[in-house]
Amino acid sequence: MVVVSNLVKKYGKLLAVNDLSLEIEKGQIYGFVGANGAGKTTTMRIISGLLRATSGKVLVNGIDISKNPRAVKKMIGYMPDFFGVYSDLKVSEYMNFYSGLYGIPPRNRKKIIDDLLELVNLSDKRDAYVDSLSRGMKQRLCLARSLIHDPDLLILDEPASGLDPRARVEMKEILKELKSMGRTIIISSHILHELSEICTAIGIIDNGKMVVSGPVEEIMAKLSHSRRIKVKVLKGGVEPLVKCLQEEPEIGRITTGNDYVEADFNGNGEKLAGILKNIVIKGVPVISFTETGENLESIFMHVTRGNSQDADKSNN
Amino acid sequence: MQINPIIEKDLKTKMRGWKAPTLITFYLGFLGFLIWVFFIDNIYSAYNYFDPRLMTDVFKTIASFQFGLIVLITPVLTATAISGEKERQTLDLLLCTDYSTFKIVIGKIVVSIAHVLLLITASLPILSTVFLFGGIGIIDMLRLFAFYLVTALLIASLGMLFSTIFRRSPVSIIVTYIMVLGLLYGTLILHGLYLILYQNFTGQMPQAPLYWVLYTSPAFGFASVIGTDGGGIISVFLTGTAYGRVAAFGQISPWIINTAFSIVVSILIIIFCAWKIKPVK
Ligand SMILES: Nc1ncnc2c1ncn2[C@@H]1O[C@H](COP(=O)(O)OP(=O)(O)OP(=O)(O)O)[C@@H](O)[C@H]1O
Ligand SMILES: [Mg+2]
Repeated sequence: MVVVSNLVKKYGKLLAVNDLSLEIEKGQIYGFVGANGAGKTTTMRIISGLLRATSGKVLVNGIDISKNPRAVKKMIGYMPDFFGVYSDLKVSEYMNFYSGLYGIPPRNRKKIIDDLLELVNLSDKRDAYVDSLSRGMKQRLCLARSLIHDPDLLILDEPASGLDPRARVEMKEILKELKSMGRTIIISSHILHELSEICTAIGIIDNGKMVVSGPVEEIMAKLSHSRRIKVKVLKGGVEPLVKCLQEEPEIGRITTGNDYVEADFNGNGEKLAGILKNIVIKGVPVISFTETGENLESIFMHVTRGNSQDADKSNN
Repeated sequence: MQINPIIEKDLKTKMRGWKAPTLITFYLGFLGFLIWVFFIDNIYSAYNYFDPRLMTDVFKTIASFQFGLIVLITPVLTATAISGEKERQTLDLLLCTDYSTFKIVIGKIVVSIAHVLLLITASLPILSTVFLFGGIGIIDMLRLFAFYLVTALLIASLGMLFSTIFRRSPVSIIVTYIMVLGLLYGTLILHGLYLILYQNFTGQMPQAPLYWVLYTSPAFGFASVIGTDGGGIISVFLTGTAYGRVAAFGQISPWIINTAFSIVVSILIIIFCAWKIKPVK
């Protein structure tokens, strides 16, 4: 459905997108993850036909965006990371305006608009001025707007940014609903965790380069090859514990503290229970034995480490 | 064919606020005030009888003022059209639709022309009394209004041009005003300077003066529309004196050439703007 190959975008000397390729199939929810300035927005704007690529190719449903941008725009619903609204326009007029731009005949508009406002829970705000809506409501309205021409592909640039936790949950619910409708969606975030729940595929981008990409399970498996465990021990327990752990094949990198040991672990629950049993049998004075739950964030940090400092530099 | 959504939305929202009524009120108030001043000054106090010839002068003065007001008001109607969308962060939402940029530009121009048309129409009751008493025919009036609209089109296009070039609205507004004044009066001054310098250096008038410079000026065209010979202090101020001296040389009325010029330039500018704001060309 979407094929991006060898995409490059330069701003002067700055390489914002660097030889990026990705492929998204119909019905996929593709999570696009990266730190600030990684190049997510740039890539999404290029796919949406709002920015010209320096080189590379974008095909949407087989149509080249640089050759026939208007045909591609018809198939795409785009929600920018930052956007404004016209003052003195009511919600229904706002939707009507964009339906007009997409060439939807006036007689069909009312039903489409009603349905979309229902979807994003803004039905009771029909006659409110767009300006008077809260941030979360505006965000949802913009999402409804991006759906108005029933696009094949939705491109959502950080739809949950700037929202409070409650509004985030609401947004996520709407996205889940869209997912159940079988829509193809590209959604960006710098919070990997947020995406892992709804996405079917994920691409992690750093400094304009795709670092890893693939189906969610695959990425998770690839990235979280090591869970991390933390074992607290009584005084003098650190050394024998390390010795113990080093004998276990499932244990990887070990780090030690004053009264604890942390280690990467690669295996299932039974193995983990086995390890605990072993170290207790060997007389290590264990106080606690926990998984530190190395979560997606730290994986993300791990993957993008090293380069992110450069990215910060070029940002400032 | 459905109506251009830009036109539909802008007409609705701009009329809804307090701005449009305020603009019209001030506009009419000002014109009304002028007419009152000239009735008192020219018609009754000096002669105590009704002189149609004086009414023609009043007509010219009022028409000049209306021309001046349109010239001053039109730039703000479009000079923020695109830069304002950028500042408001709504431009991407326009451009991500498959609506053509040409129609976006046209829509915004039409809305600004509609504003000018509204001002002209609203002033019709006030002006027609003066015009008709002054022996000004319907055709003359229509020609005058058509010239207003064409001039408004040119100025609106210039505003649109700078609003696509400059990121910031204040810059665009200022540059538009400078360009408009330059085109209207800079051309006249330029031509005057040319004549003076030529005379200074050669001791005679130029064989082939730079008339084409004059013909690009809507102020010059306007002078020929109202048929001024440069009389009346205000007419001189607003339209320049060059017309009186030069008109004799033209075969075709300057306002016709100027109208054609304005329309052609406007079309070129509109096409350029549509091309310029298209993100992927
Ligand atoms: N118009 C522009 N002119 C110059 N540089 C730009 C422009 N837009 C983006 N950049 C640069 O391109 C790089 C990528 O920016 P981009 O906005 O795509 O990042 P992002 O991944 O969306 O970041 P964020 O998470 O902050 O939204 C950054 O270094 C940014 O400074
Ligand atoms: Mg971004």
